[in-house]
Amino acid sequence: MGDVLSSGSAVAALGLIAGFISIPIVSLLIWTVDSGAWAAMRSPVALEALSLSIRTTAVTMCIAILVGTPAAYVLARFEFPGKKLVDSLVDIPAVLPPSAAGIALLLAFGRFGLIGQYLEVFGATVSFTTVAVIMAELFVASHFYVRQAAIGFGGVDRDVEAAALVDGARRSTAFMKITVPLAFPALIAGAMMAWARALGEFGATIIFAGNIQGVTQTMPLAIYTEFQRNLDAAVALSLLVLGFAFTVIFTVRYLTRKATEYRE
Amino acid sequence: MKRARAGSVAAILFFMFAAIGCGGSSGGGGQGGELTVFAAASLTDAFGGLGETFEEENSGAEVSFNFTSSSTLATQITQGAPADVFASADEAQMENVANENLVAGEPEVFVENREVVVVPVENPAGIQEFGDLSQPGVRLVLALDEVPAAEYALEILGNAAEEPEYGPEFEEAVLGNIVSREEDVRAAVNRVVIGDADATFGYASDVTPDIRDEVEVVEIPEDLQVVPTYSIATLEESEESELARAWVDLVLSREGQRVLEEWGFEPVSQ
Repeated sequence: MGDVLSSGSAVAALGLIAGFISIPIVSLLIWTVDSGAWAAMRSPVALEALSLSIRTTAVTMCIAILVGTPAAYVLARFEFPGKKLVDSLVDIPAVLPPSAAGIALLLAFGRFGLIGQYLEVFGATVSFTTVAVIMAELFVASHFYVRQAAIGFGGVDRDVEAAALVDGARRSTAFMKITVPLAFPALIAGAMMAWARALGEFGATIIFAGNIQGVTQTMPLAIYTEFQRNLDAAVALSLLVLGFAFTVIFTVRYLTRKATEYRE
Repeated sequence: MKRARAGSVAAILFFMFAAIGCGGSSGGGGQGGELTVFAAASLTDAFGGLGETFEEENSGAEVSFNFTSSSTLATQITQGAPADVFASADEAQMENVANENLVAGEPEVFVENREVVVVPVENPAGIQEFGDLSQPGVRLVLALDEVPAAEYALEILGNAAEEPEYGPEFEEAVLGNIVSREEDVRAAVNRVVIGDADATFGYASDVTPDIRDEVEVVEIPEDLQVVPTYSIATLEESEESELARAWVDLVLSREGQRVLEEWGFEPVSQ
């Protein structure tokens, strides 16, 4: 009897969470249908913001994967002095509010920043450019990939790697042919989380990169900007980014499943 | 064993943290009434000062403010945000609220302001006069569309386009120099204060004592000027209509006008 009760309340708790998440999303849909705001999805603001979001998050993921994969492997496999410190450092962006991250980036790479003032001498200005958007996204998002990848690598059996090395494989070949495929699900999961975080990035971007259509105005900034003058358009843009994120995540999940089935 | 104990300490700390959240915040009871004033960002300092006066004059009353662009405030009010008073930096945003029948009575004009160009004291782009804004490479920031300070600026640029001295190319070049649109006028001025932008359009009153040493003001030619006109109204949905009225009266009073003038606004003759 007690079991039935407790499992009943657990189900109710899950229902509560599901409802709490789905009702706002349904509200977006209902509002868009009611107000006929679909046209706002084809407005230049929406299209430029979506295109900018796609481009910046793609570059962000490229860099995060290229640099983050070997970095995660080192974190997972090797002991070195100061490892604990580096390990905690990697986690900082996850707990730092993005607006604080934006200020920090501005103080480092802004025009009068620690590094920015020297860049300025060479005529390279970072703030108010698309580069700044990518830096903001990298700062807040790469952690999710690195952490997840490190956990994935940590779960790969060392003996399998060692066996490949004994068989005469080079270390890099063993890494690419053995370690990465075995950690693949974790890598994909980490990449998806990082991508989603980068797509949603708002605080650091608006502070460090500024807000200008076509250059630094990503989807979240466009939604915020539209909210100040046209709620219908802001709702339509929110729905658009939601649909886009869903499509990407489901496609990747589907492809990953196919790939693992194929390998097996 | 040691590790297990550390783990349980961590768990206890974590759940204590969560429990603080679950305990909920007991709302502060307002016996003397709570007044919520939605005011244009440029009024931050002047209204902040008047808030103290108000709380002294109306014992027990508490004033809280929401300072951001008038356009954001108007959107928030029309979306049902609980506000008692709305003070807008232009008449267009006040009309947006009035058109939804949310204004009680008639909005009243209470101060005027002056639009200026603000540049950092180092003046990296070498902007000496209004005409320099069109030089290539000037990093200009402006508040978002519909924010009054930006709307006045666009109006001024429109005026310039019709003057042979400047022309439409001038307007186009200045608009092309915009590198960012900021949430409100104070955010735009702040971009100049930290030196990330070369110039912005703001109000004379935005150059507060706090930042006076860090920026320079470049005046806009008289014949291009527009007059930023601020209006204030109590709101229909207010549950503190008496306090709301008292706030508007304070702002319009000799004392209120004096404080506003101290902060760089131009009082309107009553």
